[in-house]
Amino acid sequence: MSGAASLEPKISVRNLNFHYGKFHALKNINLDIATREVTAFIGPSGCGKSTLLRVFNRMYALYPGQVATGEVLLDKENILDRRQDLRRLRSRVGMVFQKPTPFPMTIYENIAFGVRLHERMNKGAMDDRIEAALRQAALWDEVKDKLRQSGMSLSGGQQQRLCIARAIAVKPEVLLLDEPASALDPISTLKIEELIYELRQNYTIVIVTHNMQQAARVSDYTAFMYLGEMVEFGDTNAIFTNPSQKQTEDYITGRYG
Amino acid sequence: MDLRYLRRRATNVFNLGMAVLTTLLGLFWLFWILFTTARYGYHSLNLRLFTLDTPPPGAAGGLRNAFVGSLMMIGVGIVAGTPAGILAGTYLAEFAGRKRIGEIVRFFNDILLSAPSIVIGLFVYSVVVAPMGNFSGLAGGLSLAIVLLPVVVRTTDEMLRLVPSTMREAAMALGAPYWRVVLQITYRAARSGILTGVLLGVARISGETAPLLFTALNNQFWSTNLARPMANVPVTIFQFAMSPYQGWQRLAWAGALVATLAVLGLSIFSRFLIRQRNN
Repeated sequence: MSGAASLEPKISVRNLNFHYGKFHALKNINLDIATREVTAFIGPSGCGKSTLLRVFNRMYALYPGQVATGEVLLDKENILDRRQDLRRLRSRVGMVFQKPTPFPMTIYENIAFGVRLHERMNKGAMDDRIEAALRQAALWDEVKDKLRQSGMSLSGGQQQRLCIARAIAVKPEVLLLDEPASALDPISTLKIEELIYELRQNYTIVIVTHNMQQAARVSDYTAFMYLGEMVEFGDTNAIFTNPSQKQTEDYITGRYG
Repeated sequence: MDLRYLRRRATNVFNLGMAVLTTLLGLFWLFWILFTTARYGYHSLNLRLFTLDTPPPGAAGGLRNAFVGSLMMIGVGIVAGTPAGILAGTYLAEFAGRKRIGEIVRFFNDILLSAPSIVIGLFVYSVVVAPMGNFSGLAGGLSLAIVLLPVVVRTTDEMLRLVPSTMREAAMALGAPYWRVVLQITYRAARSGILTGVLLGVARISGETAPLLFTALNNQFWSTNLARPMANVPVTIFQFAMSPYQGWQRLAWAGALVATLAVLGLSIFSRFLIRQRNN
């Protein structure tokens, strides 16, 4: 059950338990997320994969009654520590959600919003930062002439790439993607997958997906979760071609889920 | 054709017919009111209506002092009622959530929303007019603010809760503190909805008569002093329409027409804003 990373792991999860009130959603999770690789979480609905993802940027802290215990080390620093500064953590760990969430403002302002939270810079530097983020998100060519238009006016796939650009512009080290393509059409999905492939050169990426083919295509490591437990974790090829657990095999061959 | 499908079609025709009929019934009264107001009011609808003050019986005059007084008191109502209403609605939607305190505040706000406005007039009489010793425009404006307040609280609360929580999460995930999320993201997303709520509330208070009877009373003369009794359209309509003088009755109809058109215009404008938002 240990990660096969050769570098120091970016994130190490140690004995993580998670409760929604009385419901025990994550049971004693141990896992290493490799630096600058793509790790996918797969499993049937309700297995806890999104919950686990939302621990990595403490998103759950927004809601009372959600409690995580154990350790989650980001570069050896426990992010579950009460003294952890959430704003700093979230500048290091970006997140993209299932549904595109453009803010009700211009494309330019959508990206500038996040940057301004953490840095002060002049107009020229901001313009450069925004262009770089949009280029990295493979959206620049489509929006360069309409940066002053509302982010809401873009298509679903473009909105999602805008959200990725917005997350990248803050210069995070880790990107969390929560089913980033599940609300998109096949062409947009393909673009997002190509983008993930490119982004792994600079970022540590963790992706939750319902789509097993997608996990197989984009990820280096795959974790299979079931009923709040980490059933199997390892090299993506190994998981999909030669799973060691019966449950994993049943899931990836489509027998349940 | 299969009997089953015939029955479904008949049921459909019947229900659709009833729905159309009841809609027409509602529209019928609305248009009758508009028609009657226009028929009796348009004779006196001229420039003098807006340039002359309320006349003594038998003399020529207009409603200038009443229009200006109404506008001033509505202004006081907006200034006093809107900020508090928006802040309270923000507290309910963004901070109280499903907590017990939120439910309690919402419950009392709903009671205030449906409280008879004459009770609000009596309340302001006892806490403002009686201690001050005289009726005043300020007291009138305050009573309008109390009528407006629960409308604004409720629409702000509802409009903010319509903003998807994923949008808040997305902003939080970038490292934004919650106050900034509210100010820069959710307010912006709910902006036109909140503005629409305020406008509909203003439309509601511009026709209120009962709260003004006990607070601003009325004033036959030109006055912009908020500490003194103040002329206003609803009470003037009430007095003039009840009078035996034909000139006064005509002015009452003209005032009713102008007030109706203003409220209609305000409602259409807020519909327009809603449509803007949906696009």
